[in-house]
Amino acid sequence: MNYRAHDLKREDFAPLEKSQLDEVVARPSLSYWQDAWRRFKQNTRAIISMYILIALAVFTLGGPLLWTVDASKQNLNQTSQPPGLAKHALVVSAFERWVLPTDPSRPEYGDLPPEELANPEGLRAAEAPNTQSVRITWRPVAEAGGYNIYRHTRPPTSLQDLGLPLGSIETGNVHGYEDRLNLKQEDYFYSVVTTDGFDEAETYATLQLRPQLAITREHALEQGLSEDPRAGDTVTLAFYPLGTDYLGRDMLARLMEGARVSLFIGVIAPLAFVIFGVAYGGFSGYIGGTIDNILMRLADFVVALPFLLFMILFKIAFGIGPGESGVIPMLVALVLLSWPATARLVRGQVLQIREQGYIDAARLMGASNHYLIARHILPNTMGVVLVTFTFAVPMAIFAEAFLSFIGMGVAPPTPSWGSMCNEGVKTMLSHPHELILPAALISITVLAFNLFGDGLTEALDARMRGRE
Amino acid sequence: MFRYIAKRLLAGVITIWFIATATFFAMHAVPGDPLMNDRAVSDEVRRNLEARYGLDKPLGEQYIIFISNMLRGDFGISFTQQNRRVNDIIREHFPVSAILGILAIIIAALGGILWGALTALYRNRLPDILIMLLVILGISVPGFVFAATGQLALVHVNAIFGVKVLPVAGWGTFSHMLMPALVLGLGTMALLTRLMRTSMIDVMGEDYIRTAHAKGLSKQRIFLRHQLRNAILPVVTVLGPQISAITTGGFVVEYVFAIPGLGRYFVQAVQQLDYTVIMGTTVFYGAFLVLMVILVDILYGFIDPRVRVSA
Amino acid sequence: MTDSILSVRDLAVEFDTFGGVVKAVRNVSFDLTAGQTLAIVGESGCGKSVTVQSLMGLIPMPPGRITHGRALFKDQDLLSIGARGIRGHHMGMIFQDPMTSLNPTMRIGDQIAETLVVHKQYSRKHAQDEAVSLLARTHIPEPGRRANQYPFEFSGGMLQRAMIAQALACEPAILIADEPTTALDVTIQAQILELMQTLQQDNGMSIILITHDLAVVARMADQVAVMYAGEIVETGSVEDIFYQPAHPYNQGLQQAMTSNQQPDRVLSPIPGSPPDLFSPPKGCGYCKRCPHAMSVCAEHPPYLTAVDASSHQSRCWLHHELAPVHNNPVRRP
Repeated sequence: MNYRAHDLKREDFAPLEKSQLDEVVARPSLSYWQDAWRRFKQNTRAIISMYILIALAVFTLGGPLLWTVDASKQNLNQTSQPPGLAKHALVVSAFERWVLPTDPSRPEYGDLPPEELANPEGLRAAEAPNTQSVRITWRPVAEAGGYNIYRHTRPPTSLQDLGLPLGSIETGNVHGYEDRLNLKQEDYFYSVVTTDGFDEAETYATLQLRPQLAITREHALEQGLSEDPRAGDTVTLAFYPLGTDYLGRDMLARLMEGARVSLFIGVIAPLAFVIFGVAYGGFSGYIGGTIDNILMRLADFVVALPFLLFMILFKIAFGIGPGESGVIPMLVALVLLSWPATARLVRGQVLQIREQGYIDAARLMGASNHYLIARHILPNTMGVVLVTFTFAVPMAIFAEAFLSFIGMGVAPPTPSWGSMCNEGVKTMLSHPHELILPAALISITVLAFNLFGDGLTEALDARMRGRE
Repeated sequence: MFRYIAKRLLAGVITIWFIATATFFAMHAVPGDPLMNDRAVSDEVRRNLEARYGLDKPLGEQYIIFISNMLRGDFGISFTQQNRRVNDIIREHFPVSAILGILAIIIAALGGILWGALTALYRNRLPDILIMLLVILGISVPGFVFAATGQLALVHVNAIFGVKVLPVAGWGTFSHMLMPALVLGLGTMALLTRLMRTSMIDVMGEDYIRTAHAKGLSKQRIFLRHQLRNAILPVVTVLGPQISAITTGGFVVEYVFAIPGLGRYFVQAVQQLDYTVIMGTTVFYGAFLVLMVILVDILYGFIDPRVRVSA
Repeated sequence: MTDSILSVRDLAVEFDTFGGVVKAVRNVSFDLTAGQTLAIVGESGCGKSVTVQSLMGLIPMPPGRITHGRALFKDQDLLSIGARGIRGHHMGMIFQDPMTSLNPTMRIGDQIAETLVVHKQYSRKHAQDEAVSLLARTHIPEPGRRANQYPFEFSGGMLQRAMIAQALACEPAILIADEPTTALDVTIQAQILELMQTLQQDNGMSIILITHDLAVVARMADQVAVMYAGEIVETGSVEDIFYQPAHPYNQGLQQAMTSNQQPDRVLSPIPGSPPDLFSPPKGCGYCKRCPHAMSVCAEHPPYLTAVDASSHQSRCWLHHELAPVHNNPVRRP
């Protein structure tokens, strides 16, 4: 009874003017979509995913305007380059056969058994090594019948470690070797083992070399790297910020072109089958009765078909003629197999909405069928349809990637992210960037669409309305 | 219940028949003819080959032969390996795919239920946030990337330890199966985790869980006897479609890990346009998947009393 | 009071929500007499369910929080952590919607038996037999067969009987019934109420009945607490509440209710809606709807004042000695 302590006066007990207490309803009234957008904006992950999607659209549509490199142009001088800055290369003159150094004073075939043969001495590079050719020479070994030459990227530890030879020389008086096999600017260990013509000696000599990046005059001229290249000049090679693939094609340009193919299939196919599904399901649900029953049996039937199996089947049946990319058959197959889910969903929604009180109310007021569908039924299914669409996109992108990965997707040379992964997986161990880059793009795109879809679901969920 | 099963089986048979028919006509709609890819053959050899594969008969007759052979379980002879019957290919290689698939689905289901329940219990706390981050990644990364990454990881792990921790490719022992089954199950596991989490959270808000608390039951008992079972039900319903996803996902994993499963043969056949093998394996796979979906639905009926008793 | 079996003092419960902290229950105190029925009445959202849920430890924490108070049952504070053994054993509870309050994938018999297994360490067999006899006591026909069925095979009324059987399994001293008949048909309502009364007489237990249905209160209750905006605004015997309403809110309720005595009286609804509990008003929560509001009501919260010599109390400034006597509905000269 602590309030007795208050010095309450008689005036405090005067009747209260009601108007003093009238409150204003402060919450502004928002439309369904305004409210959804407000809630979407509060979802950080959804907003981030939206920016990623915008960035992807810019990359796909605006990218080729800024980066005008031809995606199909091959540069066999620079195959499977990892991402990096532009490289400089030495200009060398056109290749001329190297006459291998021979000591005519020695016999071609010696007589010593292999275990008594000496190690080749004085192993050295005959010329400054570059990526066009590496020329090594050594002092001929007495009584040798030949030499085996090995190349490794790390120093060999024993004779057993050498493995298969890079090449062999079958006469004992030739004491040089020229290597032109797929040379890179990295450390090589050349090992030479003396043979009696067939069997190897028990020792080996090793030389460490690092060839300099080089390009021939002709190639430099052809690629327009310099006006008048001379041997010994240094030129800057074509710039590949994301590296090149196994045919020396620019990865960045290919990723952009692949994005156009993958996203075209990923967006257009869902758009087409969602629209078809809405029309089909809406019609079926609104008509009802026997027709509805028949239409839904058909949908159930298509759903029961194994999806990817039939995609493959369709692809085979459509066939791909020469010069075709195979994008359209894939699109058609996707639409033919994917519409039932949307149709079922929309039908369910329509059936539900049809029974709502406000539809009866509108009908009582004389609304026509067209008006009911356009004004009440369709707008109320839009939320679900939009969410279905966002989740259908990752599905379509996955389907394209899967088919292209097993070689059933778009036909080369058209790049898609899936087919680039297919090519990349073959060189995965030595050049991982050819797999990682397209795979990462697929993952980021699908991730963004998934998060976007989650955000949309939450924002459009009517149950959440007014809960805060 | 019997009526229900019979109805489902009948619908399944119709679906399988459609798959067979669609496969047959899809194969015959291909531009050119199956023997076109072969080296130039003399007319006589060609006629012999056509007679051997029954290609000289009218389409209708070929179809009837195809279906009746199919009913007898005879899928014909391979085009590219001309002394192998398709039946033998399936018999020899399907068990490999099946073991891989079963292992993958077990990993996916157990993992999905475990992680899903865990994230729901730790909702909005660190374990939940971490696992859900991985899950969203798992849903967004295509299966073949998992396969390639798994293999790459094995190569590096083996190199680091200097011994063969797990084989990088091939088939034969249990250690060969582990990594392929794991990468095959990952996508499904992520999906199931997410589903299980939502389902768990829904169940935790149900009135009967409040009742269980009011009965003074311990948290563990409520979790095990009331939440888990009810939360697993929706997870079981997607198992059918997920078996389908794992089966087709197996094509890629078998290809990457060089596993002699039927999936790899199927992909090979598709690339080489080996018509009889494509037709045989498509129908086989189609029938298998349709049956699996029906089986899972029936299984669901046994788990959920509402379906079991009323059906 | 010596025969009080449950004594709740100054209970306060808050919830964290997106919009801020909701003070759902504020300074609620009451006593439950052994063998009697206490009805807590009030409109939706007034905090009556939260009050009993906090006694049963059913407030989800977070977002809920019991900020203050004690609830003594046999010298043990129900609000302390160690009280789980009491729930379901010495206190049973039934809920508003029997359709969703039973586990859909568990047999009815198992759900009832579970309580006995946990609290009384019965064997499964023994507990099952006991469950069947409990179903029989709640007048469920063919209890042996019914015990093996699942909730979806029961009707709503049957399910509520099963709920009661489950709540009474361990012969609790207190049964809390949270709107037990709201979701049921009128005829079934009467059956359930009758069942509760019979069982109360048999077991000698106390009942806390949560309801917004004054007819149910009149039929069942011995004591009544009227709640409004998270507070008890009036409490007293059932006769006090119905025949001598002291708080303007309770008076309003009586005006809004049909009556056998005055069948021709025009019913008058209470205008307006309860205050927003995000920011409870500074003064009396009923001030804005009260036809007798005074300046003090808007500024200072009123306190419970004894209306007469009995247990009848009311939380209103009109009982204050300074309040005008003229046209004062609560102060009898």
